[in-house]
Formats: sequence, structure tokens, C-alpha cells
Amino acid sequence: MFKYILRRIGAMLLTLFLIMTLSFWIIRLMPMSIFENPNIPPDIQKLLMSEMHLDKPMLLQYYYFLEGIILEGEFGTSVKVRPRMDVFEILSSRIPPTVQLNFLSLLISLPLGVIFGTIAALRRNKAADNIISFLIVICISVPSFVFASLLQYCFTFRWPIFPTLYDSTATSFFGTLHSLTLPIIALALNPIATIARYLRGELIETLSSEYLLLARTKGLTRAQATVRHAFRNSLVPIANTIIPMITGIMGGSLVVEKMFAVPGMGGLLIDSILAGDHFLTVALLIFYSTISLCTILIVDISYGFIDPRIRIGGGK
Amino acid sequence: MVDKNHGLPEELLNLPDSDFEMVQAGEIKDEKFKTKPVGFFKDALFRLRKSKISVVSFWIIMAIVILSLLVPSITGYTYTEQSVRQKNLPPKIPFLEDLGIADGTRVLTNRKKSSLEDTNRFPEGCVLEIIREYEANGVPVVDVKIDAYLYAGVPEGEYHWFGTDYLGRDLMTRLFQGARISLLIALLSVVTNVIIGVIYGSVAGYYGGKVDMVMTHLAEVLDGLPYIVVTILFMILFGSGMFSIILALTVTGWIGTARLIRAQFYRFKGREYVLAARTLGTPDIKLIFRHILPNTVGPLITRAMIAIPGAIFSESFLAYIGLGIKPPEPSIGVLLSDGQDVLLQYPYQTLFPAILISVLMIAFNLFANGLRDALDPTRRGEEE
Repeated sequence: MFKYILRRIGAMLLTLFLIMTLSFWIIRLMPMSIFENPNIPPDIQKLLMSEMHLDKPMLLQYYYFLEGIILEGEFGTSVKVRPRMDVFEILSSRIPPTVQLNFLSLLISLPLGVIFGTIAALRRNKAADNIISFLIVICISVPSFVFASLLQYCFTFRWPIFPTLYDSTATSFFGTLHSLTLPIIALALNPIATIARYLRGELIETLSSEYLLLARTKGLTRAQATVRHAFRNSLVPIANTIIPMITGIMGGSLVVEKMFAVPGMGGLLIDSILAGDHFLTVALLIFYSTISLCTILIVDISYGFIDPRIRIGGGK
Repeated sequence: MVDKNHGLPEELLNLPDSDFEMVQAGEIKDEKFKTKPVGFFKDALFRLRKSKISVVSFWIIMAIVILSLLVPSITGYTYTEQSVRQKNLPPKIPFLEDLGIADGTRVLTNRKKSSLEDTNRFPEGCVLEIIREYEANGVPVVDVKIDAYLYAGVPEGEYHWFGTDYLGRDLMTRLFQGARISLLIALLSVVTNVIIGVIYGSVAGYYGGKVDMVMTHLAEVLDGLPYIVVTILFMILFGSGMFSIILALTVTGWIGTARLIRAQFYRFKGREYVLAARTLGTPDIKLIFRHILPNTVGPLITRAMIAIPGAIFSESFLAYIGLGIKPPEPSIGVLLSDGQDVLLQYPYQTLFPAILISVLMIAFNLFANGLRDALDPTRRGEEE
């Protein structure tokens, strides 16, 4: 198990290194647009250039870039969105809302998905199943930002139950939660549907298996047999869907955050891309990758605990 | 020397036909096949046709494709034509307007009552109904329902079915022009991904061994990169535009196809018929494309179909984060994100693109599911 964890961490670090390299070369291959402002006198430009190591050869710049990130946690300074401000400082205030939003969406989608999937499987081909299956198709197909628009229009304008925008002044956790409700729902609909669809398929297969018949013949009630035998076996394959789901939620949250003005990484990323603030963009992308890779690592490792076959096989 | 007579004596070689006689007198009693043989694709098509959902979603997709080809040229507007006076007009559709839906009216709130008399601002007949009269700071003010088309001075008989946007451009023209571009992006990126994936997967799967190991590891490392990060980075590099989007969607998009093809090659390359072909001296390239690859067509089509809504989604996503197609070109994503900015004032600007993208994605997903069941009946009802 220890070896397996080490290997996963090694793979993650390699991926992160690749992202840094890729970001560095892509940004440096771009025509530098930092000094578009003609008001900066040439000597100051030169000073800035040398401060950012822009006057040195490419490979040396690459070395400085990596050294800065790995040894000092130094991502450079923002040039346009928050001029002269340390990127790391800007980021540290932006990460908690994003993580909160993503984590809560994932948290509510797991039990809800399981509940709907189970209902659909147990009431197979009856009204409840048909309704749930229909909703599943819709929730899987329609993008989260379309749901976000719909929810925002309906529940903040037509029937003002929730605040239109994120309430950053809220002092209590429930105050924040109240203003986060709509973005959480918008992000969670797709994962809920994914889990429900998967679980429905798995459960239907398990429910008709022979060991379930055996469980019934030895005297268990239907509920007992379902919970103790069918359920457990169906839940294991669901872990497979969690990793793509996390990626999905994190991607969707970039847009949904912007819509509800959640002061997270999404809005900042969009601002920095639009302003052409490449240092900030790269730092954001690296952070974003780190968070998503760490989440995937945790899921991967816990999956190794749940199902020992995975770690014996190693990798995929 | 090869014996030309196959070892037969000379007198047996030149027997006249008359020495032969039919063993069975009369006709041969074998029954003829009454039906034509049914091939794999014909069979699949038959199964596909039987599924109502697949047929309906197929026709919905076709309808959207046809509309996106036709509508931009028959509305009478172009997707770039601006008119500052006619900006943000509400939808107005012939016939439906008589029912009170999409009749081109809008409620203006908080207007001075005296300004209603001013025919420069409120042309004659444009005020339909005074909804509420009240006083603000001692001045009588009203909320009025107006005919937005008369108010903006649009000539009689001109209709904007889906309304206009903040530059006065006809939204219906833009929406279907946008659908055209979104569909094109989706189609081209999926085709590119399939081509790259097929070649990469075939080579890795066919040759196996070290080649396969290196190629699989390379793909795995690439696959480990978060998809969104890579796409954003490459969009920054390529700049906005249709081909940049297609390229950015291709950077990691082919890996899934390559994996699928590789697995199929491992399944089929050891079969006897492949061995037979190889023994007869068939070159590798022919073995790959003529003998093994056709086996993978079923799953490949299904996969490509599932990838199309994914590409449409990615395009909209990129538009939202400001890396979409270059303005003034529309795409569904661009229209959605433009509409989002004025969602609370002019909800219809988001409504129509949202409906179109939702219908399109649902139809593609349902059709892909039906196609998968039709091409591989043993997996009916299973999920990916």
C-alpha cells in the first residue's frame, strides 16, 4: 500500500512539473504584452525586465521560474489585474470560496445520487423510474452554466428566495451557505445524475444476480438483501465515476463562480485571461491543477483501501 | 519442376464431357434463400430504427442542422448587421403575437408621466397600457407597457423572432449562425481526434511490446494533465478563433479514442484470420487498416457521437471564460455568455441559446445511447 501511495504521489509531481514547464514555454512564446503601456519610460522597463529576469536567456529564465516556484513558492507579481501585488497573496484569499463551493457540491451530490439511483433501480420501469431516468438524461446533457442562468433568473429575480450574488459580508456559515445555495445546486445536478445513472445500472444487474437470490432464500427480507448485499457491490464501481466528476465540478465552477460573483478562483481566472495578465493566469492554472490533482490523489488512494485489487494491479 | 499433370496419368486428363452424367436427375433440391443476407450495419440500422427515442433525436439533430444552414440566409438580416436604435428589442413572432406571447412589448418602469405626451420619445400608439401610477419625489411617475418596436421606430412588418442583442443585431440569425459554427467546431474537432486516436492506437496496439509501452505511458502522462488547464493554456497560445478552439480541443481529446482502439487491437490481432492473412504475406499497413480496424468501427462511431456534445460544451465553456470565437462571429457559447450579462433585464437573450444548446446536447446524448445499443446489442442498457 505504501509503495502504491508513493507511486501515485510521484506521478502527481511529474504531472505538476509538466504543467509548469508547459505554462512557462507557452507564456514565453507569446509576444510579451506586459509593457503595452507607453507611459512606462524605457529605463524603468529595463529595470522591470531585469527584475523579472526577462533579459536573460530562455533556459536561464526557465531555471529561475522553476526555482522560484519550487524553493520559495514565488509565482511572480500580478501585472494587470492587481498591479504590483504578489500573486500568491491574491490567490490565498481566493482559494477558500472555490474549495468550499466545490466540496459542498460534491458532498451533496453523493447521497442524493445514491438515493435517486436506488429508487430508480428498485422501482424499475415504473413511474418513479421513468421520471428519474428522464431527469437524469436532462441533468447529464444540459451544461451547469445553463442551469446556473435558469436558477439565477427563477430564484433571485422571479421569486427572490436567494440572493443574486455571493454575500461576502455574511458572518455566519449559514449566511454564506444561503448565498451559495444556487451555485451549489447548479454544479451538483450533473454529478447527481451521473451517480444515479451509474448506480441504477449497477443495482439492476446486481439485483438479478444469483447471490442475491441466495440471500433471499436463506431468509433475508428484500430490504436486508438489498442493503447488505446488493448495495455494497454496486457502490464500488461508483468510485470510478468520482474522479471525472471532480474534474467536471471544478471546471463548471470556474464559470458558475463568475456568474454568482463568488470571489473564488474562477472569476479571477477569467479576469486575468481577459486582461492578458499571464503571470497570474499561469499561477492560477498551476494552483488549480494542484488542487484537482490532490483531490484525485486522495480519491485514488482511498479507492485503493476500498478495493485491494486496484493497488495490486497498480495504476489502471 | 512442378508436375503439370498433378500426378495423373495422361489418358485421364482429356476425358470428353459426354462421359459425365448428373448423379441427381432433374433440378437441385437445395432451397434458395428467400431473404437477402443482413450485414452488420444493416442490422444495426434496423435496431436503431426500432428505438423511437433514437429516431426522434436523430430528426431533432437534423432539424437543427438544416435550420442552422437555412435560417441565417432567410431572415433578411445578417449576423453582423448592427442598429443602435433597435438594440435589445424583445422577441416578436407573427401569429404568436396575437396570442400575447412574443408580441414585442416591454414594461418600462419609473417614467415621468408628462414625458408620455412627448411624441419624440414615445411615438404615437406605442403606449399600450399604463400599469401603475404613483408619485416619486412629488412628480407623478408611471410604469407603462409599450410596444418596443414602435418605440424604437422599427418599420411596420419587421419582425425579430428572437429579439435583438445589445448592438441591435437580430438574435435569430445570430443564434443559427452560431449553431452552425458550434456544430462545425464540434464536428471538426471530433474528426481530428478520431483520426489521431485511430492512428496512435492502431500503431500502439498492433506492434505491442516496447513501442506500445512507450506510447501508452506518453498518453497516460498527457492524460494526467487537467483537461481544462491544458485547453486554456493552448487557447492562450493560439489566440481566439475557430481553428484555435479545434486545436485546443485536440491536444488531449484523442487519448480516449487511442485507448479504445488499442484495446480493440489487442483483442483482434491474435485471431486466426489475421494470422492467415499474415501468412499469405499481407503487409502490416493492410493488416491494420483492412483486417483489424473494421472491427473497431462500432465502438468508434459510438464514441465519436458521445464526444460531439462534449465538444459543444467545451466550446461554450471557453466562450464563457473569454477564450471563445472572435467577435463578431457568434457561437452558441458566445451568445450564452453575452446573454448572461443582461440576464435579469432581457432574459430572452439567454433563453433561446440556452434552449438550443440544451435540446442539441440532449438529442446528441440520446442518439449516441441508441447508437451504442444498436451497434452492440450485448451491451444494451449498460453505461459506459
